[in-house]
Amino acid sequence: MQVEAGDLVAGAMMLVFGLIGLMLASGATDNEMYVFGLSLTGFAAVFVVGLIKRHYDKAEMHARGEDWHV
Amino acid sequence: MSDTLALPRYNDAIIKKFVIATIFWGVVAFLVGVVIASQLAWPEMNLGLSFTNFGRLRPVHTSAAIFAFGGSALFGTSFYIVQRTCRVRLFGGEAIANFIFWGYQFFIVMAALSYVMGFSQGQEYAEPEWHLDLWLTVVWVTYAVVFIGTVLKREEPHIYVANWFFMAFILTIAVLHLGNNIAMPVSLFTAKSYNIASGVQNAMIQWWYGHNAVGFFLTAGFLGMMYYFIPKASGRPVYSYRISIVHFWSLVFMYIWAGPHHLHWTALPDWTQTLGMAFSIMLWMPSWGGMINGIMTLSGAWDKLRTDPGLRFSVTAVGFYGMATFEGPVMSIRDVNALSHYTDWGIGHVHSGALGWVAFITFGAMYYLVPVLWKREDLYSRKLASWHFWISTLGIVLYITSMWVAGIMQGLMWRAYDQFGFLQYSFAESVNAVHPYYVIRLLGGVLFLTGMLIMVYNLIMTVWSPSTDKRVTMPAGVALAGE
Repeated sequence: MQVEAGDLVAGAMMLVFGLIGLMLASGATDNEMYVFGLSLTGFAAVFVVGLIKRHYDKAEMHARGEDWHV
Repeated sequence: MSDTLALPRYNDAIIKKFVIATIFWGVVAFLVGVVIASQLAWPEMNLGLSFTNFGRLRPVHTSAAIFAFGGSALFGTSFYIVQRTCRVRLFGGEAIANFIFWGYQFFIVMAALSYVMGFSQGQEYAEPEWHLDLWLTVVWVTYAVVFIGTVLKREEPHIYVANWFFMAFILTIAVLHLGNNIAMPVSLFTAKSYNIASGVQNAMIQWWYGHNAVGFFLTAGFLGMMYYFIPKASGRPVYSYRISIVHFWSLVFMYIWAGPHHLHWTALPDWTQTLGMAFSIMLWMPSWGGMINGIMTLSGAWDKLRTDPGLRFSVTAVGFYGMATFEGPVMSIRDVNALSHYTDWGIGHVHSGALGWVAFITFGAMYYLVPVLWKREDLYSRKLASWHFWISTLGIVLYITSMWVAGIMQGLMWRAYDQFGFLQYSFAESVNAVHPYYVIRLLGGVLFLTGMLIMVYNLIMTVWSPSTDKRVTMPAGVALAGE
């Protein structure tokens, strides 16, 4: 099954955001930046999990001959 | 028109998410509003804790109301409208649309958290620090790409007027956000920054941003909503499509100049203040033209106000829009402003717009959208929706009348002199004098929140209750490009 271009773009963005979040948290000089950095990394990780889940959900539906739509 | 469920498949999942977020953040915004109103009436309600004091919760309330509640409503309705009036799915695919939703929710939560932790740029409606501003920029640019991309790939030759308003909202907010938040961080790892401008230049840029946040976020975007949902719910074409185009261009041209009226009697040059005042008064024309166009759309369908509570919300919202856009130019006149500025009159004015216009037009859209999106024939209870309408309207009336009285009283007390030329009242006396009105304002807020909770129950039951029939046809409508 083909991967949508939007999925790839979103995945690549999450990679960048996750790393930026880790960098910000690691060097943070105040609570706000520490919380934001960790949260950004968590956001990116959860979003990527969502992308992977939806990819396999779609593939399974495709295999069953069902149509995927939201 | 007899649209059926076999229409092209639109991305409705993203709209459902935004509808749920709108309702959730509405409850949060109104609840925090009630809390801070009680703090103003009874300071003990600050609880003696840094993160629950008024100074930190106030931006939570304003941001939750404008950006979380209003913003989620705008994202959701704009995606609903652009797909249907262009007859295409959203540009960019599901993942990008999901990023816009979750990225925006992440921004809201992080911003609220930063306020209660004590981090703020100290600029009204632009409180988030630099790192959150950058994050919002990413989300907003993605939103612009998806919306404009959808318009560009449309299968309908005409761009319906609602989409023009949404595009003005998206592009202008992007420019305002970037212009007002040019700041130098202390370091890359510190959530503190200093704005590139200082003094009166900073104030001017801030109120260019602040007033146009009202003009383009809280007005242009919601006018897009008005131009779709009122014709759709009433089954009537826009009263004058020509006026809607004139409304659009005159509004976007004039609004952008009106910001200096927030800085009357300050160090801002007089000519700039006069410019802001003149453009504010000129705004009467497009604002009232648009209001009349919205209300007159009901020509031939006035009876629906009795039977459709969602439409009643939408039309009353347009009435409040007319009232607030009459009051605003009056308050922008320099001599009126000498009395009204820094008083609770301003708070009353902003709430007649925020509750009467923004919230009511959103409620109208939600009562329309929930049965359509969840494929129900009708609301769970029209009677409950009517209760919501009347309780909320009473709440707004209590709120704005109490703030008018409090504001004018404050303005008069602050300028009163005795026979020796001394100020007649101390500031503390004016605070004491407005206490009863603060309690009435709190009561108004409680009523508005109560109405919101009734809507939440009604909409949940619309989706969940077995008593609501499944919808078999999509709502018919007229005069809508692409449908």
